[in-house]
Amino acid sequence: MELIAIAFGAIFVNNVVLNQFYGLCPFLGVSTKKSSALSMGMAVTFVITLSTMIAFAIYNYVLVPYEITYLSTIVFILVIASFVQLVEMFIKRFSASLYSALGVYLPLITTNCAVLGVAIDITVNSQKIFETSTPSFMMVTVYALGISLGYALIIFLFSAIREEMDAYPIKRNWEGIPIALITAFIMAMIFYGFGGIV
Amino acid sequence: MARKEKTLKEIFTNGLFIQNPTFVQFLGMCPTLAVTKSVESAIGMGAGVIFVLVLSNLAISLIRNLVPREVRIPIYIVIIASLVTILEMFMKAFVPDLAVSLGTFLSLIVVNCLILGRAEAFASKNGPIKSAADGLGMAIGFMGGIVLIAIFRELLGAGSITIWGDFGIDLIPKNYQIGILVQASGAFLVFGVLVAQINKIRMGRADRNEVT
Repeated sequence: MELIAIAFGAIFVNNVVLNQFYGLCPFLGVSTKKSSALSMGMAVTFVITLSTMIAFAIYNYVLVPYEITYLSTIVFILVIASFVQLVEMFIKRFSASLYSALGVYLPLITTNCAVLGVAIDITVNSQKIFETSTPSFMMVTVYALGISLGYALIIFLFSAIREEMDAYPIKRNWEGIPIALITAFIMAMIFYGFGGIV
Repeated sequence: MARKEKTLKEIFTNGLFIQNPTFVQFLGMCPTLAVTKSVESAIGMGAGVIFVLVLSNLAISLIRNLVPREVRIPIYIVIIASLVTILEMFMKAFVPDLAVSLGTFLSLIVVNCLILGRAEAFASKNGPIKSAADGLGMAIGFMGGIVLIAIFRELLGAGSITIWGDFGIDLIPKNYQIGILVQASGAFLVFGVLVAQINKIRMGRADRNEVT
């Protein structure tokens, strides 16, 4: 029951893009076509879930015992960067079709602040999210999966709206980013309503 | 004929207005939207970015001829991450309230595309003094952008402008405030409207230049 609440909260209530403002650059940059948004969402889900598990293990079994938690930012960004590189090489080697779908998006993910943000949130700021300073591995995994599914969901919905919107004329100074931000504003208000459920 | 070298002043104002990171290049949008709830945290974030960007541009430009091309990005990231860690420690020690209100976004300066972008596009190709000038211009341009957004959000949403601690002014009485602007969703609205208005001004100027 607790895990379901965590997953629901991560997907809808604390939606990573609309509520926490993580990963906005790819959100606005890649979301012009449904197919590329879907690929980006898949790549992000994969990387966030696995890198969060790795970051959790490193934080609790290396940084905390040796009392070097102040190094967490450096350690996490290195782990994420090398992990993304590894995933890219792995996919390139074993699945050409998956590589052609996700390949271009993988390097972008290193600088997607959702990955580092979630890694920091579940370790350094775990009190705020899980209401306990020592969350279990299961809770963290479910949270990371929820966050990344929330990201994939939002980026896909957003790209669908933007594709439809392309068909209509719009004032020149509102084209592109400004109208996308206004769309995001309306979506954020809708998602704000989920806050009342939990 | 070789292109005319840009002067320091041109480099500085380039980041400040022409290539403003917030409103023209749309770099580092996560903090732009997340920390603009109050003017105080926007100023804190801007100051942090100034510190990191000037020093990282300086350091990267000094080592630009020693670093092999293939591994430059990881090296840049390590330099930036070290600077951000120093900044985090400073802020936690001297301005703990600000560090709490910026939260994760203080650490997330590491992945701010503005900083890595300037390292790659400018500091890896230019001398240290020019790189520092570029970093300062860009960072002040970024700070100006987020402070502008924060002024609109805090003034219309919470009716006050807080510059530092208790030093601030209350302007709009409670009944006339637009509460949604200080919610998460309000950030998108204010930023979108501002970008559209700035686009309008820039397009008007470009049209005039074509005519004359």
